[in-house]
Amino acid sequence: MKTRKNETVVERYTVLDRAAHTIHAFAMVLLILTGLKIYAGWDFMSFHNARALHMIMVPILLAVNWIIIPYNIFSSSKGGVRNKIEHFMDHYIFGPEDAKRTVAILKNFFGKGEYPAFSIYDKEEGHYKTKLHPVMKILIVLEGTALFLIAVSGIVLYKLDWALFGLPVASWILSIGDLIGPALGLSSLQFFRLLHLLMTYWFVFELVIHVGILEFDPHVWKYYKAIFWTGKEDLSDKHFVKVLNKSSKKTYQDNERSWSDAEKAPVKD
Amino acid sequence: MNTGKKNFAHTLESMDFLKMDRRTFLKAVGAVGATAFLGTYKTEIVSALEFAETKIVWLHGAECTGCSESLLNGGNPDIVQAITKLNVNIAYHETLLAQQGIFVDGRAANTSELNSEILVDELIEEGNYILVVEGAIANGPDGSGRYCIIGNRTFKELFEKAAKNASAILAVGTCAAYGGINCAASAIEEITDFRGVDFKKEDQSKGMLQELGISKPVINIPGCPAHPDWILLTLGAVILGKIKIPDDLSSLLDKYGRPKVFFPSGHTVHENCPRRGFYDRGEFDTDISGDKCLWKLGCKAPYAHADCGLRKWNGGNSMCTQAGSPCIACVEPGFPDCARPLYVEAEDKGVLLGANIDNVSKAAVGAAALAAGAHAVRRMKGDE
Repeated sequence: MKTRKNETVVERYTVLDRAAHTIHAFAMVLLILTGLKIYAGWDFMSFHNARALHMIMVPILLAVNWIIIPYNIFSSSKGGVRNKIEHFMDHYIFGPEDAKRTVAILKNFFGKGEYPAFSIYDKEEGHYKTKLHPVMKILIVLEGTALFLIAVSGIVLYKLDWALFGLPVASWILSIGDLIGPALGLSSLQFFRLLHLLMTYWFVFELVIHVGILEFDPHVWKYYKAIFWTGKEDLSDKHFVKVLNKSSKKTYQDNERSWSDAEKAPVKD
Repeated sequence: MNTGKKNFAHTLESMDFLKMDRRTFLKAVGAVGATAFLGTYKTEIVSALEFAETKIVWLHGAECTGCSESLLNGGNPDIVQAITKLNVNIAYHETLLAQQGIFVDGRAANTSELNSEILVDELIEEGNYILVVEGAIANGPDGSGRYCIIGNRTFKELFEKAAKNASAILAVGTCAAYGGINCAASAIEEITDFRGVDFKKEDQSKGMLQELGISKPVINIPGCPAHPDWILLTLGAVILGKIKIPDDLSSLLDKYGRPKVFFPSGHTVHENCPRRGFYDRGEFDTDISGDKCLWKLGCKAPYAHADCGLRKWNGGNSMCTQAGSPCIACVEPGFPDCARPLYVEAEDKGVLLGANIDNVSKAAVGAAALAAGAHAVRRMKGDE
C-alpha cells in the first residue's frame, strides 16, 4: 500500500500490527520479570503484586497472540482461504529462499557477499511478497509453540483444578503430564513447572536473539521506528529491500515459487 | 483445639450423627479431626456399633513398619480408644499379635491360638474382613514373588489369597499404595519388581491386583509414614458405612486412589505451610538450620498433595517443614523418584542426560548474549 505523498514509502505495519506488537512486547517483558520474581524470590516487588500482575498480563498476551495477530495475518490478504493460507506461508513460514538468505547473511557477517534482501515488495500488485527476516520466521513458529506450552503449563501452576465451562482442563493437563513426567523422574506437576520455567528462559533467549542480533544493526533500526511508531518503510532505502517491478518479478518468481505454485507444480516421473 | 474448632465441634453436638450424610460426615471429620469427632459422637458411635464387629486383617510386605508405628503413635484417640469406639477387631497384625509362625518339618503346626500362619489362613477362609496392606509386594524374580517370603510362602501368594476374600482393601503407606522406595529407580528395580496393591508408581496397569487379575475396591492412604488420622478416619468412615464401597469411591478418591479429603487434588502442602509467608516475601533458607522458606533446599511441598499443613503431625503440633526439614512429597505416587535428590530444588534436578534445565537455559541465554555482543561489534564496525 503506497502513501500519497511519497511513491517509495509504503505501509509495512498497520496500526493493529503495531499495537499488537507493542502490547505483546510489554506483556511479555512483564510476564518474564514477574515470573522470575516469583521463581527466584527477587525482592523488587511483593509476591502478591507480582502474581497479580502476572495473572493480568496472561489474558492480554494470549488475546494478542491468539486473536489479534491471527486476525491481522488473515485480514491483510485479499481473496479466499487459499489466498490467505498462501499469504501466511509466504510471509511467516521459513522456506527454501529463506534458507538461502540465512546462508548469505552468515557469509555477510564474515565479510563475504552482500546482506540479502528479505523485505520483498511487489510494486505492481502493491504489497509485500515477504518482509520478515528469515531467522525471525523460525523464531515466530517456535514462539507460537512456546506460548502454547507456557500457557498450558501455566494453567496447572495457577490452579490445580481449573475448569472451563465445567470441563476439568487442569485435570486433563495433569493427566498428560503423567504420561511424560515419570519418564524423566518427575511428577506431572513438577514436569509442568519445569516446562514453564524452560519456556520462560526460551522467551528470554528469543528476546536476546530478536533484539540483540536480528535487530541490532544500524541499518535495521528503521524497522524499530516502523513497528513501534510510523508503520512505514521507505523502499528507496535499499538495505534489505528489494522492489519487484514487471521485469524483475518474473526473475523473482522463477527463483522463488510461492507455496501455491509449489502445490500446482506438475510431478515429473 | 483452637476456638474455631471448638465452636464447630459444639455445633456438631446438636446434629444427629446417624442422620448425617456422607459429605457432612467427611467435612466434619476433616475439619475437626478424629479427636473431636470421635469425642463428640462417642456415645452414638458406640451404641450404633454395639451390634457390629469389623474384622481387620493387616498384612506386612516389604516395609519398615513405620506406618504401623505412626498409627500406634496416634495421640487422641490412640489406637486402643479407636478400636474400642469403632468396635474393630484387629484379627491379624503381624507386629502386634501374640502368635508366631511355627513350622514342623516344613508344615504349619499347632492351632491358630499359637500359630499365626494358621490364624491368617483361617481368617481368610472365614472372609468378611477389611484387608489392610502395609508394604510393597514383590513380583520378582520373574513373577515368582520370591524376593519377599514370609513363613514358608511368598508375600505375593499370601496377598493374593487375602485379597480375593476381602470385602475392601486399604493400602496404607506409599509402599503398599505405589511401591514406594522398594520400586525406586535402581539397578535392581526390574528384577525385584516390587508393586503397590493397585498401582506401581503412577501406573495402575502394573498394580499387583492387575497382575493377579483380581478386581477389588482399593483405598490408598500413602505417606512415609501415613498419618494416623488418615488411616483411622478412613477406616472409621468405611466401618461406619459413611463410605459405601465401591459406590462412593469414584467421587471420594482421586485418580491415584487417595481420599481427596486428605489428599486434595486442587491443593498442595505448600499452600498451608507454616513457612509460606517467607516464600511470599521471597525469603529463602540456603542452609537447613534457618526458619525461612525451604524451597531452595529442595522442598517438594509445591508438588505434594496432602493436608499436613492443616492437620499437622504429632498430635497436631508440628510437621516436616515446621520442624526444619524440606517436604519430600512422600504421598506422591512417584515417590521417591519424583522427589530425588531430596534436598535439591526440583528445577535444579538433572532431567535429560543429567542436564539441569536451569543451568542449561542460563548458558543458552548467556551464549546468545555473547553472540549478540559479537554481532553488535561486527555490525557497528561495518557501518563505519
